[in-house]
Amino acid sequence: MTSRPWTRALVTGASTGIGREFVRQLAERGTHVVLVARSEDDLQQLAGQLAEDHGVGTEVLTADLTQRNDLERVETRLRDEDEPVDLLVNNAGFGTGGQFDELDLDREVSEIRLNVLAVTRLTHAALGEMTRRGRGGILNVSSNAAWQPVPYMATYGGTKAFVSSFTQAVHEEARGTGVHVTLLEPGFTRTRFQEVADVDASTRQLPDAVWMEPGPVVTAALEGVRKNRGRVVPGWMNKVAGAFSTVSPPVAGRKIAGRVFEGEVRS
Amino acid sequence: MTFLRAVVTGASAGIGREFARQLAQRGTDLVLVARSRDKLEELADELEVAHGVTSEVSVADLTMPGDVARIADRIADDERPVDLVVNNAGFGTRGRFDQLAVDRELQEVDLNVRAVVRLSHAAAATMVRRGEGGILNVSSMAAYQPIPYFATYAATKAFVTSFTQALHEELKRTGVHVTVLGPGFTKTDFAEAAGATGEASRLPDPLWMEPGPVVAAGLKGIEKNQATVIPGWANQLTATVADFTPSTITRRIAGFSRRFTSP
Repeated sequence: MTSRPWTRALVTGASTGIGREFVRQLAERGTHVVLVARSEDDLQQLAGQLAEDHGVGTEVLTADLTQRNDLERVETRLRDEDEPVDLLVNNAGFGTGGQFDELDLDREVSEIRLNVLAVTRLTHAALGEMTRRGRGGILNVSSNAAWQPVPYMATYGGTKAFVSSFTQAVHEEARGTGVHVTLLEPGFTRTRFQEVADVDASTRQLPDAVWMEPGPVVTAALEGVRKNRGRVVPGWMNKVAGAFSTVSPPVAGRKIAGRVFEGEVRS
Repeated sequence: MTFLRAVVTGASAGIGREFARQLAQRGTDLVLVARSRDKLEELADELEVAHGVTSEVSVADLTMPGDVARIADRIADDERPVDLVVNNAGFGTRGRFDQLAVDRELQEVDLNVRAVVRLSHAAAATMVRRGEGGILNVSSMAAYQPIPYFATYAATKAFVTSFTQALHEELKRTGVHVTVLGPGFTKTDFAEAAGATGEASRLPDPLWMEPGPVVAAGLKGIEKNQATVIPGWANQLTATVADFTPSTITRRIAGFSRRFTSP
């Protein structure tokens, strides 16, 4: 494949953080972008900037992916054959920090709707279409939270364990179809994620070396899906942590993860 | 820890039915949850005659949010307290993901993930307040590696195992026991429902367990507040190997063996 393997990419959660960096790097390479997020204003502004900086076509698709109707609109866009989307980046997601029984249940269920159900549906819509065409790419953004249970982020860790298992299985199934399916497992990345999840204080204590900027995370991911890698873990620090979590007994990972976030609820 | 009254989901068949039976044998009253009223009433009668316990029959389809809310309310009811919840109901779908009906995949997530989270939440909140109780979530060996041609099922079970182990740590000092049970191949209707009888019949005998010892191990685990129970030596060995092997390798093995055993 050339340096511009994708003609048009649909990116969810495009307005901030890793998603915003995905559309920036894709536009830089000349890929048209379909921007999906909840805030119309943010998306319009971003679209204008991308068109100006990189001269690519942009579409704004305002949608709350926890809502079934909005999700169906995005699925319809993925199936549209007139201006086909050949790369789907399932990036939208959020986490919730705290002792599970004290967390608001509706927010936990929304988390499952977004991190699990939306990813499952959009992957299904894109994969069916791309398999028929014999080419395309699906990049699902998971997290290092998939590697061990995460006490005080129990639901979030569960949703990411889902995404990691699911995406790697689909990667194997899609072999030979021409469709690339890649899992991205970032570690701690400098975005608004920690603030939204209410785990800002506990994660701020982590050493500088574990943090990555969105730029290199996204670069590694795009390289991975171009080469049809099953799984991308960006950064040497995360690779070491990933290898450690594989060779250590599962109970160790869960105790360590619990220590990181426990302070947030007990302080 | 002996339990006074247990909610068991998916109680009409397989592992769930065996949970109801062994709990009744120990004198635990039951709230039996499944879709089929006939099967539940028959089971309730049988348990009352054999063990003298009282069983409530609660007909519910746990893919439906309204039905899940009803069971959550029952769990939170202080008049007739429930001190053990066994989240056992679940199903699997087999085939290449893009060729499976998406609605069925979503129901699978609704049952295997969303219902477990909602009922665990109702149970945890109520039991933490009382300072005692047990939550036993039934996962699967499928949690331990991605499984091509069983992609959604394995992912739902990866969720349940991760979620339940995290909850176990969180509630450690509350008096509430939280355990995840990870059975391997168990002689139930599961394979038939998932359309995988062909593969199942090719598996060697030592991999198969009867529901009896699986459930006995699960109940022993929740009594001792073990985080994880993997019943049977063959499953324990498999889980240990899978734990120490990167998913990039296990997913290939799982995909290969699936292709190998397919008709």
